[in-house]
Amino acid sequence: MAIFQDNKNLMERLNWLGWVFSFIFLMLFLRLWYLSIASFEQYDSIARNNQIRTLPVPAPRGLIRDRMGRVLVENTYGFDLIMFRGKEFETKRTLRFLEKSFLVSPGAIKARLLETNHYNDYQPVVVKQSLTLAQTSFLMARHSDYPLLDILERPRRFYPHRTIASHVLGYVGEVSSDELKRDVFQNHRPGDVIGKSGTERKYNRKLSGQNGLRRIRVNSKGRPFKELTPIDVVPGQELRLTIDLELQRAAEKALTGHTGAIVAMDPKSGEILASASNPTFDPNDFATKISKMQWENLLSHSGKPLQNRTIQNTYAPGSTFKIIIALASLESGLTKSVNNLFCAGSANFYGREYFCSFKQGHGRINLTSALKYSCNVYFYFLGRDLGIDRIQDFSQKFGLGQKTGVDLPGEMSGFIPSRDWKRKEIKAPWYPGETISLSIGQGPILVTPLQLAVLISAVATEKLVQPHIQFSSPEKGKVGQTTKFNTHALNTIRSGLWKAVNQNGTGQAARIKGFEVSGKTGTVQTVGRTTLKRLTSIEKSKFRPNAWFIGYAPFDNPEISIVVLIENSGSGGAIAAPLAHKVFEAFYSQKFNSNLSFSDLAQIKTIELQK
Amino acid sequence: MIRLEKSLQRKAIRFWGWFDLPFIISVVALAGIGLIGIYSATLNGPSFNLFSKQMVWLLLGGLIFFFLSLSDYRVLNDHAFTLYSVSIVGLIAVLLFGVEIHGSRSWIRLAGISLQPSEFAKISLVLVVARYLSGQSETYLSKTQILALSCLILLPTLLVMLQGDLGTGITYLPIVVGAMFVAGLTVRIAFTMSILILLSSPLAWFTLRGYQQQRILATLNPSLDPQGVGYQTSQSVIAIGSSGLTGKGFGNGFQSQLGFVPEIHSDFVYALLTEEWGLWGGGLILGLYFILIHRLTRMGGHAQDRAGILLITGVTSLLGFHILINIGMALGICPPVGIPLPLLSYGGSSTITFMSCLGLASSVYRRRFVYTDP
Repeated sequence: MAIFQDNKNLMERLNWLGWVFSFIFLMLFLRLWYLSIASFEQYDSIARNNQIRTLPVPAPRGLIRDRMGRVLVENTYGFDLIMFRGKEFETKRTLRFLEKSFLVSPGAIKARLLETNHYNDYQPVVVKQSLTLAQTSFLMARHSDYPLLDILERPRRFYPHRTIASHVLGYVGEVSSDELKRDVFQNHRPGDVIGKSGTERKYNRKLSGQNGLRRIRVNSKGRPFKELTPIDVVPGQELRLTIDLELQRAAEKALTGHTGAIVAMDPKSGEILASASNPTFDPNDFATKISKMQWENLLSHSGKPLQNRTIQNTYAPGSTFKIIIALASLESGLTKSVNNLFCAGSANFYGREYFCSFKQGHGRINLTSALKYSCNVYFYFLGRDLGIDRIQDFSQKFGLGQKTGVDLPGEMSGFIPSRDWKRKEIKAPWYPGETISLSIGQGPILVTPLQLAVLISAVATEKLVQPHIQFSSPEKGKVGQTTKFNTHALNTIRSGLWKAVNQNGTGQAARIKGFEVSGKTGTVQTVGRTTLKRLTSIEKSKFRPNAWFIGYAPFDNPEISIVVLIENSGSGGAIAAPLAHKVFEAFYSQKFNSNLSFSDLAQIKTIELQK
Repeated sequence: MIRLEKSLQRKAIRFWGWFDLPFIISVVALAGIGLIGIYSATLNGPSFNLFSKQMVWLLLGGLIFFFLSLSDYRVLNDHAFTLYSVSIVGLIAVLLFGVEIHGSRSWIRLAGISLQPSEFAKISLVLVVARYLSGQSETYLSKTQILALSCLILLPTLLVMLQGDLGTGITYLPIVVGAMFVAGLTVRIAFTMSILILLSSPLAWFTLRGYQQQRILATLNPSLDPQGVGYQTSQSVIAIGSSGLTGKGFGNGFQSQLGFVPEIHSDFVYALLTEEWGLWGGGLILGLYFILIHRLTRMGGHAQDRAGILLITGVTSLLGFHILINIGMALGICPPVGIPLPLLSYGGSSTITFMSCLGLASSVYRRRFVYTDP
């Protein structure tokens, strides 16, 4: 009986043991609940990132075509070597493999990993671009040994005409972490390729499209297990430019060997037919990751090859500005001085001698001839009578010193002086003597070549057009506002410009038989007259004047206006006008061959493309 | 006719009366769940026949369970010391002729089957402890008895640890600790023992191997080295944490299926099952274990002698400890030691061992109607 009693105690304690375990099981259940329910979201995302590898499928950027539908920019496909981040041991092993196989230098990988620090952990890093076929197959064969590596087929920008229109087209590159912070690039992710300049930049959104994603479930070793539903790629849209490839080629050919810019524009619509700038660059260099050396070369090059001189640099307009002075005088009713002036080779204003381009003097001269021969003295008088306020007012009416609003990034505005500016910025009154040199486009006045293209087009067609680079059908296109100028005044100026080219004037080098070119030259001193005298001949060559030619053709029904600017080269008549001639000629022969105007041809092409 | 039916009915009642029904149901349910887990574990793995092998082990284990249930545990109890000696010999034999798998020399190959004597030793330890204490008549254990018990258990523990199998070695301790607690300890002795264990634990720390120390550290702080030593634990926690209420579904537990969680057919089968069946599945398993332990203690309440109670005590402690450590490990609160989850983990030796233990317990319960002389 005693033992039975004792057994009761044992049973009681066994029961206790059972309850201890029950309590422990309850604790385990609470822990289970805490993990699977309370921390579900945290662990769920960890598990997903653990197993699902997302491979970007880059969207091909839209093609860029010229006005005739010829391809200016297309895509090729290249193979990139990409690497995922994995366990430290695995990463090290993979890097050792890459070094040993001489695919990538260790330094390059380290630099690349530093660059991509802002990527999230699950995004692959492009380790090497443009693998050769041999490298691709070498890596494919070892794919299962190094699961962190993968090969990605990536569309790559290809510029088949190399340097042609490079400034207009721009170049592309990987989006930087700074750019990602901006609204414009909010749809982009690290590693994406975006337009960095030119139309590539301006129309980046349209050209970009939307990247797709492949989602692959991988096992713990990183080997693919199953592919999940992908997100499809939306390719970028095509872009058609107003550029004419052949004319562009001609303009760039004309520019070879010079530093400067050429713009050709349809004066009626503002469509930019050609826009050349020299020195230039090959955007293909940027399509793959540009090497640091190449990049530094481009940046440090004294010629600034990346600069689009048609809009991203400003120059004094020189004698081309006389068109503004002439128009302002006619409009302001200064008819007396316009018709009866005498050029003695120089004139004295406010106690200082101002010289004419022709030292012997032009004698008695009227407006047409003054434009034809580019007589400085004549315009000194007009400028003096006009005064700074009216000059400033008219300049602004033609859009000088303001951005034209062309659809290209980085346009500069230039500068037109005024009394206000002088008082505010220089803290001095405007001296009448300054007006004298301003009236021949010298002094504190800066314009872009494109602004002068708008000016000469306005003279040609009485319309102030909005220059643009994206081709749009005429119904949608912006038609320039009509200038409210006296047709008679414009006709006087037009005849002066016609004579300058066709009757042994300053611009005769631009003449083309049968094409009725009109135009105005300009030669801008880059240093003062007195300084020039002190310079040695080598220094003199550095500070040669900038040469301008602005013109349009044909006289009656203008179809093209051209602006040529050559830096530090010589006189406008000798340097710029012959280059303009070449471009006019290219245009003329093309027109002659096809018997159709440019806008007609583009119309036909539009219909074809729509089909 | 009617008489025959009635006698059959009576026989049936008597037969089922031998067993505790909730106990049997929970054992069958757990074995079934284990099979589901093992089947799922082999979906993407190379060793496809694990499922059918485990099926064989379970059938064999079931036969042993019934055989032991129907036999008299007192006969086995009488031969406890003989069985104990055989176990010790077996453990020594492993050290001499054993095969090394996963860094521990715990297996012996017999006729093409790898057997783990350290598993079978658990049965003899349960028996020998019960046998030793069944002759005791005092209310509390004496110091001599405690010393003797400690020696009984430390010998096989050391032998197993020499094999490099820390996990199995640890599982021997609760058998004796549970038995001492149930047999009766004075507060003073319990206190002294706790102090002794606490004092010897630093010593034990230094006898551990480097990786074993690291495992324990990693459990205390998994973020210390999530990719290295703590990897298994953290991946198991991720698997369970990403399961939610109903889990990812059969075969979809990719965290386990794709190899992030190791040993999903054996030590980490709980992580796999919970990942695929969620809180419901993980909770159901815990619930079934609760029923099992609860029924075992109830069955102990029907025991007719001390040996019976202590036998069930040993089985309860052994089972409870395995469950606690294994599930605790899957949930990231215990260090990853390789011990199986009773009835769920794949493994021939362990399945047969647990089935045998449960059979012994059932035998104690079946004997409840038998009156013997005190």
